[in-house]
Amino acid sequence: MSYVSEIWASRELLQNLTNREVRGKYRRTALGQLWSLANPIAAILIYTFIFSFIFRLPAQVGDPSGLNNYALWLVCGLLPWLFFNRVLSLGTDALVSNAGLIQKVYFPRIVLPLALANATFFTWILEMAVLVIALSLLGSFVLPWLPLVALFMVVFALFSVGLAMVFSIINVYFRDLAYLLTIVLQFWFYLTPILYPVELVVTQSDQLGGLIGTPVTLIDVYSLNPVLGFIEIFRNLLYDNRMPEATTVVIALGWTVGALGAGVLAYARKEKQLAELL
Amino acid sequence: MTDWAVRVDDVSKKFRLYHERNQSLKSAILRGKTSEHEDFWALRNVSFDVAEGATHGLIGANGSGKSTLLKCLAKIYWPTSGDISYRGKMASLLEVGSGFHLELSGRENIYLNGSILGMSRKQIDSRFDEIVDFSGVEKFLDQPVKNYSSGMYVRLGFSIAINVDPDILVVDEVLSVGDEDFQRKSFDKFRDLKKAGKTVIIVTHAMSVVKDLCDTATWLRSGSVVQVGQADAVVDAYLDSVGT
Repeated sequence: MSYVSEIWASRELLQNLTNREVRGKYRRTALGQLWSLANPIAAILIYTFIFSFIFRLPAQVGDPSGLNNYALWLVCGLLPWLFFNRVLSLGTDALVSNAGLIQKVYFPRIVLPLALANATFFTWILEMAVLVIALSLLGSFVLPWLPLVALFMVVFALFSVGLAMVFSIINVYFRDLAYLLTIVLQFWFYLTPILYPVELVVTQSDQLGGLIGTPVTLIDVYSLNPVLGFIEIFRNLLYDNRMPEATTVVIALGWTVGALGAGVLAYARKEKQLAELL
Repeated sequence: MTDWAVRVDDVSKKFRLYHERNQSLKSAILRGKTSEHEDFWALRNVSFDVAEGATHGLIGANGSGKSTLLKCLAKIYWPTSGDISYRGKMASLLEVGSGFHLELSGRENIYLNGSILGMSRKQIDSRFDEIVDFSGVEKFLDQPVKNYSSGMYVRLGFSIAINVDPDILVVDEVLSVGDEDFQRKSFDKFRDLKKAGKTVIIVTHAMSVVKDLCDTATWLRSGSVVQVGQADAVVDAYLDSVGT
């Protein structure tokens, strides 16, 4: 508990470090913060062209919203993923890239990944705001769902930063992790139903039946991915305009508690040694 | 003797000297272990008290463990055994300008660096003018720090750190920043701290500084305490041993 109160005591530091990330990032650029929207927009254009126009994925109709727009459907899943991706890749490096600071000043080290996640969260809010405007213009009645969207954004952020915290500690011991992670994240992206609907995987799984003679099916393994549930929740709320299934929510919350718990525990146990290990 | 402000009680610090340090996954898996190392004791059973309001010098040759001890005092390293206790709020000044962001302005960096050193926003607000005054960079306050000369950079960093206003200040050889004029100002500032009843622990190689500023001193050799006592006596003994 004393550890938690120490983190609470450093909230001003957390805020200042967050400002450092946010303000420092786009200094001396003409477009400033707008650059953070450039990446998602490029991804949306490319994926929509490939998957909706060339590959002709089946139409994704929102139930009950009635939306039928691949680009929007894609973005509802893509923005959470991009956030997750950034938190994980930046967060994993949070300790190693701040080695100088850690070796010169004492402060709760946990604020480093938290500040990065905060700054990234700020970018995500901007992106989501643009998405909400686009959804509203194109006929999704998304406004009543916004409080829940905000809530799950916070939950997903806690899950992401928890994982990033664990990774950042591991990265101090094994610097390979940062490089390995970029590859893992690529696999992870394509193994999460962001570009394609999960129903396509279900169809394949049904055809295959039990894997290697066991009752375990492809979709069972596929569903172990913790991000899958979060993506579903965001699509339900934003695109379909309905409540996500209770089991999905419970599993997502479980993952969040687990990841965050592991992250805080890793810091509580290792933080005192970090200055030496770096 | 008055009450102690800092008590170093039987502190030892062990480092691992790595013959092979495997910070990659491949070697860890191939060899089934992460490293091969031997232990090195940088500090052995170090004990001393620093009285409240005293300025205490840590002296010794290179590699004697001064910096390790200082880092333990600053809570950057944690002793392998033994305890360090404080009465009052401790702040450390091991490097000036830690955490400065080069693209941010001097003003923004005062707030950033101040909060890294443990000041609240209110404290920084109330001391802002003093910090700026002392550093002498007011003209360039809204310029990004990367455009500062190295002198301006360290002066700003030092001014923030010296205004943290702790009960106990732990300082590395940062007195040697800036030009003559600034150094004199820094010395005066340390004397002010002393007058205000603050406890200061300082590591330096400049024996004149120790004699001038410090009340008491600790002399370290190979991680062990050789002598603790009045600054003049300890410095003389140390200089004698070096001379012969």
